[in-house]
Amino acid sequence: MSNPKTSENFEKAKAAWEKARQRYADKIKPRKNLSGIEVKSVYTAEDVEGIDLDTMPGVYPYTRGLYPDGYALTPWMQQMVFGYGTCEETRAKMEKMVAEGMEGYFGHKVFNMVLDIPCMYGIDSDHPEARGNVGQCGCVLCSVEDYDEIMRDWDLKTTNFSYITGDNCLPALALACAAAERRGDSIDMLHGNSMNWYPRIAVQDIPSWEPKWGYALMGDLIKFCTNKVPAWNTTNIFMYGLSEAGATPLQELAYGLSWGKSVIDAGVNAGLAPDSFVGRIGFQIGIQNDFFEEVAKLRAHRRMWAKITKDAGCTKPQCQHARVHIHTSGNVLTAQQPLNNTARITMQVMAAIMGGVQSIHSCSFDEAISIPTEISHRTAIRTQQIMMWESGLRNVADPLAGSYYVEWLTDKMEKEAWEIYNDLESKGGYQKGLEEGWIKKAIDDTSYQRKQAVKEGKWPVVGLNMYQSDEEEDYQQFKVDLAIEKKAIEKLKAFKAKRSQEEVDNAIAHLRNTCFEFKEGKADLMPALVEAARKGVTNGEMTVPMREAFGWYVSE
Amino acid sequence: MSEKTIKVLLAKKKIDVHGRGSKLIARELRDAGMDVIYFRFGTADDIVNAAVQEDVDVVALSIMTSGHNLLVEDLIPMLKEKGKADVMLIMGGVIPKSDFEGLKKLGVHEVFPPGLPGETVANYIRENVGKVGLS
Repeated sequence: MSNPKTSENFEKAKAAWEKARQRYADKIKPRKNLSGIEVKSVYTAEDVEGIDLDTMPGVYPYTRGLYPDGYALTPWMQQMVFGYGTCEETRAKMEKMVAEGMEGYFGHKVFNMVLDIPCMYGIDSDHPEARGNVGQCGCVLCSVEDYDEIMRDWDLKTTNFSYITGDNCLPALALACAAAERRGDSIDMLHGNSMNWYPRIAVQDIPSWEPKWGYALMGDLIKFCTNKVPAWNTTNIFMYGLSEAGATPLQELAYGLSWGKSVIDAGVNAGLAPDSFVGRIGFQIGIQNDFFEEVAKLRAHRRMWAKITKDAGCTKPQCQHARVHIHTSGNVLTAQQPLNNTARITMQVMAAIMGGVQSIHSCSFDEAISIPTEISHRTAIRTQQIMMWESGLRNVADPLAGSYYVEWLTDKMEKEAWEIYNDLESKGGYQKGLEEGWIKKAIDDTSYQRKQAVKEGKWPVVGLNMYQSDEEEDYQQFKVDLAIEKKAIEKLKAFKAKRSQEEVDNAIAHLRNTCFEFKEGKADLMPALVEAARKGVTNGEMTVPMREAFGWYVSE
Repeated sequence: MSEKTIKVLLAKKKIDVHGRGSKLIARELRDAGMDVIYFRFGTADDIVNAAVQEDVDVVALSIMTSGHNLLVEDLIPMLKEKGKADVMLIMGGVIPKSDFEGLKKLGVHEVFPPGLPGETVANYIRENVGKVGLS
């Protein structure tokens, strides 16, 4: 292979290039991307010298993608987040989304459902603190009947249910298992995703379990699924949460991988072999506004996770695959001139596709104002579908491979991310960083610096610090009727009236016992939760003994 | 405004998510010389008690996930009852513009959309604190 650096033609072209720009060259300053990496105005073969470009898609370390032919066999999964009101409203929305063409691999159904905030915190609709929040920003899923209603009529073999939960992650899975059994199905048929993202509290300002128990609970869910629900995706590494809290793409990459490593450790601590569970860990990653930086981040991410999992002892390709769901960035959307956000979202979806991801949620243009309207939500999914069918973007796997700039940037992001990652690991890893607050401090500082830069006009945001407008856009925002709350409470009351109170009380007492046995390493928790769910114990009722045992921890 | 440092209780309601905006505002109000008590995860009761205990001049509520009207309906009578009728009450976060008017009718002095410089909030506080109250 000829070395282009020494090729006579290249040297000639370079000399001519230098001459052509001589007049103004000293005025051109390198620009910085979001991660603070300096970017030149031109890249050449000289910049990729020493970088290994002899790789193929579908081959370790998967820089060029997980599958040998990219999206040729099947396009990415369209996994729009949705959910509001009771199951009735959410079911109607599910059916509407299916009618709109939302689907996963090979036409399978994928439902990426968000629970309402009270459910996420583990309180039921009838709890006084739930007031004003019931069914507002997610679906009410309190009882086994609610889960049954969501699953009804969908073929469990070809339908994927993702439950976006908080502290109620384990109770939610237990209720879903009990609901499947009620239908006469075996729980090993279930397909879907638990979030199991306790480590998000390192940056998201929310209370949760004590760190030690937070991690132990993650391990318990992983163990249960590995043994009983093999096709269930147990853990979502919520890098998007890091990004939304203010992380640069580089910080998101480094801290996210460290988080992933901490989940591998949690599974191993629960007694599992890496090859038995790591393949069911997945990532949710954000996409901000620097197109090439995001593509490079996704390519570097695959390569780094392949190396981390291999080092952890994984030998199966499935366990070395970084499977990625993209959530386009919410924090870069502006409440000012909201329709402008469609341009941002379009570009972000393009970056996700160029980055070769498995699944995409595209935000709606009005998300800085309220939950999406029917029109904005439809436009968001259509954005994906236009890319999928009209653009030709998915015809070729990893189409930016070989670009001097993209390969250089991929390598640069990887190198810098390893530095942050290794530093964190050497200080005790992600869990320690969570407990001692380093991760939060680093990301809060970035967020503050970014806002200062936006205020000073050093960081351009169209419609916010440039091209402002006083004209109001004609925009009808979506509202969830507060009557939903009454409906949800009545529904819960009717459900509770049908139960045997004695059975419920016994199940809760057993659960309380098991929580304390679990803390002593004498019992698993998930089986007791599933048993409680079978007896009609609700999401909120399960969380009470869990809260007693595992605490209420506010990260600093 | 006098030399006295303005004391702000910046509260996030009990059940909410994503604290980026409120943390930024807390820092920016501090930059503007105010004394900020950053109070997370409070019910209306908790917020009122903190406001009384700390004897704040301003209660600023940050909202990400709805429930703002009900929170204010609970909060205002409780603040008045506990002798904080002279406090300034402002809100910010992901609150639809169409709700601004209703919140002001309930007694909220000002509502701020997301993405604003903290100085806008600081200036509003400086110009109006002590001059407004809960009617």
